[in-house]
Amino acid sequence: MNPILALTWLLLLPLVASPVIYLAGRISFRLGATAAPARWLAVLALAVTGVPLWFLGEAVLAGGPVSLSVGAISLRMDGVGLVVAVTVMALTFLVSIFSIPYMRGEEGEEKYYALLVSMAATMVGLGCAHDLFNLWVWFEAMTVTSFLLVAFYREQRGALEAGVKYLVQSAVGSALVLIGIAFVFAQTGTLDLQQVAATAAQPTPPQLLAAGALFLIGFGVKTALVPLHTWLPDAHSQAPSGISAMLSGVVIEAGLVAMLRSLGCLAPAAATWGALLLGFGALNMIVGNLMALRQTQVKRLFAYSSVSHMGYMLIGFGVAVGYGIVNGAAGGFFHLLNHALMKGLAFMAAGALLYSLHVARGSHAPLTVDDLNGAGNRYPMTAFALSVAVLALGGLPPLSGFMSKWQIFVAGFETRSTGVELLVIFAAVNSVLSLAYYAPLVNRMYRHEPSAAVAAGRPVSFLMGAPLAVLTLLVVVLGFWPGLVDFITHPAAVHLVSIFSSGAALAQF
Amino acid sequence: MMSLSLPLMAAVAVLGLLGIGLLGLLVTRNLIKVVVGLQVLVKGALLALLLAGRLSGQVQTGQTLALTVIVADTIVSVVALALAVQVRRQFGTLDLQALSTLRR
Repeated sequence: MNPILALTWLLLLPLVASPVIYLAGRISFRLGATAAPARWLAVLALAVTGVPLWFLGEAVLAGGPVSLSVGAISLRMDGVGLVVAVTVMALTFLVSIFSIPYMRGEEGEEKYYALLVSMAATMVGLGCAHDLFNLWVWFEAMTVTSFLLVAFYREQRGALEAGVKYLVQSAVGSALVLIGIAFVFAQTGTLDLQQVAATAAQPTPPQLLAAGALFLIGFGVKTALVPLHTWLPDAHSQAPSGISAMLSGVVIEAGLVAMLRSLGCLAPAAATWGALLLGFGALNMIVGNLMALRQTQVKRLFAYSSVSHMGYMLIGFGVAVGYGIVNGAAGGFFHLLNHALMKGLAFMAAGALLYSLHVARGSHAPLTVDDLNGAGNRYPMTAFALSVAVLALGGLPPLSGFMSKWQIFVAGFETRSTGVELLVIFAAVNSVLSLAYYAPLVNRMYRHEPSAAVAAGRPVSFLMGAPLAVLTLLVVVLGFWPGLVDFITHPAAVHLVSIFSSGAALAQF
Repeated sequence: MMSLSLPLMAAVAVLGLLGIGLLGLLVTRNLIKVVVGLQVLVKGALLALLLAGRLSGQVQTGQTLALTVIVADTIVSVVALALAVQVRRQFGTLDLQALSTLRR
């Protein structure tokens, strides 16, 4: 398949499928049946989208970026965009299967699938935006679909509260990004990411530094940079479990990629951005871990753990941006992919238990850590999946979480800078600290007497278990053979570092 | 006497709108007023885009960007107001103080 055609299909297919899914579900529902066609159409659309992604991936890895121009809009799929696209499509596909039993019979089921598929499409688009404003448009489209999904249980007070918090903070962030774009546009007269970097005056004028700060804050709301993270635990814990997996697994990472892209066009000041990313990384790790320690609800605990994992990624990318170390970016992208798998698994396994223990019995109570007591006896597969997920998140070798953290730590030492080395030690200490809230979960599941909720729980259906099994396998396999994803993370890392170092090279003149 | 050029006036207006919008978000507790505050904030960003188009000599591009932002912003406002309707139904009030049931 022609790579340009493949890119067109990759974006067009889910965007066209989304309204079709809604209409099919709606019509079927009106005719007195269930919204079942929506479920299967969504799974089918996501599976079929894998075909153009495969061909496009081959083309990008073999021959470099693929560009597509529609009128004045230019899209460009490069290594970074490919990592985002692969991660998003893989996780969305698994989430759509997981959601079939989870969302069955919910009011507005067809809307859920339509929004899920279009959210995936907007994130793939965000990955290949090649224009600062286009990047914002994809970002905003992703944000709007995620608002609707966070507040999906619109009769639930908690979900509404989370939706309002999320919406207000995100909207302010978007406005700040727009002002940053206005600064860049006024200063350079272009919005093309490469041209902005090339035309910016030396040394970086204060207007562009202000624009970078605005990008950092504006996209930082979605990336959950501490102290802009306050919406995250509410939104991630109140959304349906499949959406929690999407939000933690790919949406906040998409925000991070948008931030890196926008900062990439201000590459001459790369040292500043690198230092800021490292600083926020340290803050994210410690605050995320300390807050997770005192949580009693499982999904809130995982949400705070996402805040801390964002910290590891920020350290990897900060090292790459500030010091031009490819290994840092490769570790960052590996951790991004890994976090999507691990946190997707954690949220889906917790969701499967939540569904069996509470939702299937008509209750909207949250899943507390006490509910997990003795789950290992009654739900051996789900409990095993959840254990693998939390131990991988905690960075226990030989699971995949350890490998990506290790790569980031090694990259930190490659800088030969005492500050960064201390930061890496701090990160390692944080990784150990995080076991303090992960390990008790495993302990509860296997060594405690079954709780009342577990004793009365329903069985986990096959369609819920299958994505868990796939993700568990991936987390274990990537732990033993971390080199398996090098073919995709390494080109992305080289590309990212080249964006930032081109600016650094300019700065010497 | 200092003459007020058009870009300078626009810049002052941008700052004014941003200030009013952020202040509105900080002081109000009513959800509808929060949406209004967001609107004022985004209007400031819109004017900033138009001003940037003028300063860089590409007025048309600036206007195109502004039109796109208007569309996106309208969608966000619609979602926000729909949420406000649901909040009013479920909580019986639009007061943001009531929306703090979730633990920190």
